[in-house]
Amino acid sequence: MVKIAYLTPATPEERKRYYREEWDIKLIPDYITHSIQEREFGFDHVGRGPNDRYKVFRTPELLKRFLKVRTPFAAYCSVAFYDKPRRRDKWTKAELVFDVDAKDIPIRTCGCEGVCEICLNEALEIVSGILDTLKGDLGLDNIHIVYSGRGYHIRVLDNNVMGVDSDVRSQIVKYLVGADVPKNEYSLDYEKVSYEHFVIPFGYPNVFTARVKYSILHLNKDTELDEVNKKLVKDIIKHRHLIEDDNWGMFKNKIGPQRYRKAMNGIASMNMSLVDAKVSIDLKRILRLPSSLHSMVSMKCTEVKNIETFDPFKEAVPKFVYERKD
Amino acid sequence: MVSVAFINPLSDEGEMIVRELGNFERVLTDNDDLMQIVTESHSQELSDDSLIPKNYVDLALKRIEWYSKKKNDRNFDYKQYDFLFNPEINKFDVIAFYLLCQAVGVKYGPNSRESRVVVESQGKLIENRLGKLSNTERYQVVTNILNSLISTSHIKWTFFEDLVSTKKLKLQDLILDKGEIILDKDDFLLRLSHKIKGRNPEKMYEALIGDRIKELLMIKMVMQNTEDYILRVSEKSNREIEPNPILLELADKISEVLAASVQSYGYGGGYGGSVKASALNPKAFPPCVKKVMEGMKSGGRNDAIIMFLTPFISYARLYPSVFSENVTKQISDVDPTLLIVQNEVLPLIFGAAERCSPPLFEDQPQDKVNLNAKLGFGMHQNPELKNEGETTWYTPMSCEKVKIHLPSLCKPDENCKKIGNPLSYYNRMIWKVKKESKSESSDKDR
Repeated sequence: MVKIAYLTPATPEERKRYYREEWDIKLIPDYITHSIQEREFGFDHVGRGPNDRYKVFRTPELLKRFLKVRTPFAAYCSVAFYDKPRRRDKWTKAELVFDVDAKDIPIRTCGCEGVCEICLNEALEIVSGILDTLKGDLGLDNIHIVYSGRGYHIRVLDNNVMGVDSDVRSQIVKYLVGADVPKNEYSLDYEKVSYEHFVIPFGYPNVFTARVKYSILHLNKDTELDEVNKKLVKDIIKHRHLIEDDNWGMFKNKIGPQRYRKAMNGIASMNMSLVDAKVSIDLKRILRLPSSLHSMVSMKCTEVKNIETFDPFKEAVPKFVYERKD
Repeated sequence: MVSVAFINPLSDEGEMIVRELGNFERVLTDNDDLMQIVTESHSQELSDDSLIPKNYVDLALKRIEWYSKKKNDRNFDYKQYDFLFNPEINKFDVIAFYLLCQAVGVKYGPNSRESRVVVESQGKLIENRLGKLSNTERYQVVTNILNSLISTSHIKWTFFEDLVSTKKLKLQDLILDKGEIILDKDDFLLRLSHKIKGRNPEKMYEALIGDRIKELLMIKMVMQNTEDYILRVSEKSNREIEPNPILLELADKISEVLAASVQSYGYGGGYGGSVKASALNPKAFPPCVKKVMEGMKSGGRNDAIIMFLTPFISYARLYPSVFSENVTKQISDVDPTLLIVQNEVLPLIFGAAERCSPPLFEDQPQDKVNLNAKLGFGMHQNPELKNEGETTWYTPMSCEKVKIHLPSLCKPDENCKKIGNPLSYYNRMIWKVKKESKSESSDKDR
């Protein structure tokens, strides 16, 4: 198996080999080729960012020719659909996207400098949780997962949400990542009843419980949480085996109710970094083109067909990497 | 049962009342029936004539005054406004509501502070009016109104996209399953009771959904419809003839009521008096700004310096009252020679950029152009008057936006509570410092 640590940037010659010998237009998902005339494309030719923007292709064939001739360092296409994509004019709708970059997830058990198998798996775990909520709570479908080279993109093409503005997208992000601690007191016939999030097995409290569980089970002693001291982090780690079995009540007792609240606030604030929210609220974002080469790490940006079995080191490594001499 | 129009003036019943008004000029005529209802309201304070609205326009202003005082005045006396909760006032109240919407619509437009207050006051009035009804009556009226607005079975959350977008509704407030909002008890039990362990599902339904969510949706929908109505009025008035002077006069008076509220209690930000531009006091910066001033690490540098710090520093120094004045300006309106920008604003921003690791403009010199653009001087290297207006002078990011764009910056302190924008924090702290120094000097004088 290829180790990502060994994946050095692709040379211009390797890029050429990839696009001319291995890549095929059929590898670009239908949801892009079918709307190719409505999207903006962008390219990075030298590795300094996508500064060749506002490109449009009338047919997949023209895009194919461009990629095979220019063999870019990186290729992108807009999540937005336009009537006039060349000028990014007359925006009609945009995919709802979530970017989970393994390098930037707030708690990584590996401690590596860039990305590795461990943090990529952790990113995939987060993606899986978000996917469940998108389908189960928000009732969305037509969702595609793409391995980006350093993490994952979730791309939602459900028409129910493609027209929504940045403010709605921002609220969706907060719901999905568990960015707010749910209230624990509710009114019932002039009295208050208390339900902690973990006793409510549905709706937002349930989403929050799932995200907090993930975060707690991945904490390490050096994790910094807002307003949470080292001692509390240590105690959370000490007792977290209880929530592995969903013994939340006992966990809360061990931590103490006030400290528990503090911990929840700290984790909720950290959860906001589970995805790059900037990407989700940007209605005109360009995202790496599925099937294109991530030349910085020599990996293919690949559509994930089965999230349970996907292994980037088997499915996203271009042939030239195996043929490298050193 | 209480009239539907008393809760939702935009209902068919409410529209009928408006049609029955007849001559519009009547809105300024003293109305004995109205005054009688007011004086007969159960706990109404009658010690002063000014407490009694004499006509429709007076009543409209009382609605705004009630909202403003209730929100800001610690000595608010509910007995002065008891008539607003007397269902007998319904017909007058509906007309007053329409007068308010039309006045702010024609004069200030849908995005003004005045329109926002009209919308918010309607929401608060509904909440308070519902609170005075018996449980049965409350349930009936909410159900009636909600049924007239939506079909309460199988509603998708996306139906409320507008409410979510305008933050009237949070997705977290709803119980969602497969994209639908669960309101009905049987539906809840059918879909979710099998998941509930060790708790009574019916009790859980009553606590988490019950009538609470229905009321919330109803209130927010009426607020949204009010906002939409103001927008329609505004669009129509832009196309058509000169607006009625009565409406323009009422609009001015609404503004006066709000201005009086700012003078006495401060509006929204919790500080009093107007905020004047003056030399910056870094000690009054909020924690997020202080953090950026110390310099950022690679990764969040660009957004922190360009998107966040540049608008904050420029507005804090040159136009700190942007949100309360709600008037769009260019930098040259407040700094005609750009000397303050050159000597005070830019050095602070450049200093923070220099303290980044690595220094921002060293490896990304092109970001100076972006900085200039955020000040309204276009995509150029330096701010020059000839280029002003090519781009917009960006207003400071709200706390909400900071949390999305730069989550690592938001480490709120005690003073951040109830603050929605870092600039409001700064203004409040400046006001506090001034107030403290005034009381210190008056202590010394004694």
